[in-house]
Amino acid sequence: MRRLVRVIFLAVVFFIPDPASAAEEVSVPEILELGAELAGEEITVEGELVGDYGFRGDGSMWTQLNGDAYVDQPLREGGSPVGANIGIALRTPVELTGALDPPGGYRNRGPVVRVTGIWKYHDSTRPGESYLEVQSLTITEPGRQLGEEVNWTTFTFGALLLAAAGVVALLIRPED
Amino acid sequence: MLIRPVAEDFRVIGFYMGRIFLVVAAASLLPLAWAGIAREWNPFGSFLLMTGVFALLGVIGVRLAARESELDWSHGMVVVALTWLIVPIIGAIPLLLSGHFGRPLDAFFDAMSGVTTTGLSLLSDVDHLASSLNFWRHFLQFLGGQGIILAALTIFAGTGGITLYFGEARDERILPSVTSTARFIWAVSVVHLIFGVTALGLVGWLVLGFDFDRSIFHGLMIFFAGFDTGGFSPQSTSIGYYHSAIFEGVTGLLMVAGAMSFGLHYAMWRGPRRSVFANLETRTILSTFGFTMVLTLVGLAATGLFVNAAGLTRQGLFQILSAHTGTGFSTVPSAELAKWGGLAFGGVAIAMALGGMGSSTAGGVKSLRIGLTIKAVVNQIRQVLLPEHALVGTAYHQSGRKHLTPALVQSVMIISLLYVALYLLGAGIGLAYGIPLQESLFESVSASANVGLSVGVTDPSMPILLELTYMVQMWAGRLEFVAVFSLLGFAYAWVRGK
Repeated sequence: MRRLVRVIFLAVVFFIPDPASAAEEVSVPEILELGAELAGEEITVEGELVGDYGFRGDGSMWTQLNGDAYVDQPLREGGSPVGANIGIALRTPVELTGALDPPGGYRNRGPVVRVTGIWKYHDSTRPGESYLEVQSLTITEPGRQLGEEVNWTTFTFGALLLAAAGVVALLIRPED
Repeated sequence: MLIRPVAEDFRVIGFYMGRIFLVVAAASLLPLAWAGIAREWNPFGSFLLMTGVFALLGVIGVRLAARESELDWSHGMVVVALTWLIVPIIGAIPLLLSGHFGRPLDAFFDAMSGVTTTGLSLLSDVDHLASSLNFWRHFLQFLGGQGIILAALTIFAGTGGITLYFGEARDERILPSVTSTARFIWAVSVVHLIFGVTALGLVGWLVLGFDFDRSIFHGLMIFFAGFDTGGFSPQSTSIGYYHSAIFEGVTGLLMVAGAMSFGLHYAMWRGPRRSVFANLETRTILSTFGFTMVLTLVGLAATGLFVNAAGLTRQGLFQILSAHTGTGFSTVPSAELAKWGGLAFGGVAIAMALGGMGSSTAGGVKSLRIGLTIKAVVNQIRQVLLPEHALVGTAYHQSGRKHLTPALVQSVMIISLLYVALYLLGAGIGLAYGIPLQESLFESVSASANVGLSVGVTDPSMPILLELTYMVQMWAGRLEFVAVFSLLGFAYAWVRGK
């Protein structure tokens, strides 16, 4: 009997899909394009966390998930400037956030995560806001620092121009 | 007969432009210091280069051009128009060197959009932009909203102060002297800066749960762009990034303060406050705001995008406030704004076209002109309906009792018609490139009225001619045409004059 129960349990665990795999997989641009059509649906989306982590009093953490060309190829690592960022807001229970690397910004590429949740489109409980109510979060790529190669030519030219301005100011007196 | 400008004309113009460049060079030390403190060395180098260019041009102008002499009306207008053209060109240097733009013209576009407090942007990946460059973009809006010339006039006025002051699209002098007026405007702005940044920073820190330093950063950026009705934001999702009704409320108050004329600020500071609501301009803007608000809300309700009245009202109110004040912040993505369609779309577009108050940081036709035009039309109708010898009153209240003279009506009508022509120009060029009428018109009005709301037409892949058109619209719209026409006339006289 115990053996039978164990078999049934394993079969249930094995065959019942986890919440993430049941959700429809979409991209951030698709969410913005389809907006209303996805309202209330469970979806899975992947992208980079950017901006800030806002830990609010209600036990949620708000941040932005970008799904644009710069996730794969940041500008400072040879990416091309192809346009504005494409992002959506995430509202995540604090207990799911764990130890996330700092969000993406000038100094770093934020962690790339795969999140599953309910797409709230112009939510009635938060008047008119659209966001993803996150139910599960997996880090697919940790955040990393972005290097900064200093362009000494601009330094030199800038200093030379300032010096030239000083010389002109000192040497040439306005006519009386 | 056209008289060709002589060397002395260029010397006078060069001298005053030199002074203004020196003031801008001093102002550009702020982003330079920011980059140094934040240890953002690449931006630091580009700010050093920009400061060097401003300083050298400034010194050359002041030292080599001429000694201070009388600045007549045409010289003053040329100085203003050229300043508003050259400052964004040089101000674009750090943006261009940031690597966030595909072509130099795009960086110039953003600098022009910043200075003219428009807010349309071609910047790629703002979410990874250096904080010092973000500061520069927003500070450009502050500098432009206050008025580059006004900044210079606070330090020096000279004999040409009044010409320069009026050239920068300001039509009222609040205090007896230009310098004291300029200082009053700065005082109003500094008080708003202190309260605005504190309020936004506290909301960011205590309500949104941001780190303290990031809260202050967001507060400062949104203050610059909100009070000066600019519309840039440090994150790609604009005010929608904050997901907070309180944050939107504080931002809304700043936008309203920015769209108020500084004369009205003076009346509210020094009283009598009751007269504020007697002003034709105040009554007009309240009426047009109410009208466009109703249009937008009814239109939004018809779209069925919102499931309850609270959401519809919150989103509609913010977008219409942003459009009418000429700010350009949004809480919905461009793609969604484009889908609004019908009355809601029309409401936002009309609000953008009408704009804020005169002598404020807002753009558009301006409320006083709308009010005077309506009054002139009503008077005309009454004149027709009343007996032949009946006298129709021409008085109106605007900081005191004034009379609607034919000359005033003519001037108001001409500027209003020029705005309409400017709106149609951009729309026509957009149409020629195959962009639908609704979107072409919306984006064109947004550029000309220095608003910055976008339905996605403004994009790095946009045609160069359309990009140039929007830049001219931003420039001419901000200066309200007179200085731009003066510069064109000056250039024409230089080529064809005798």
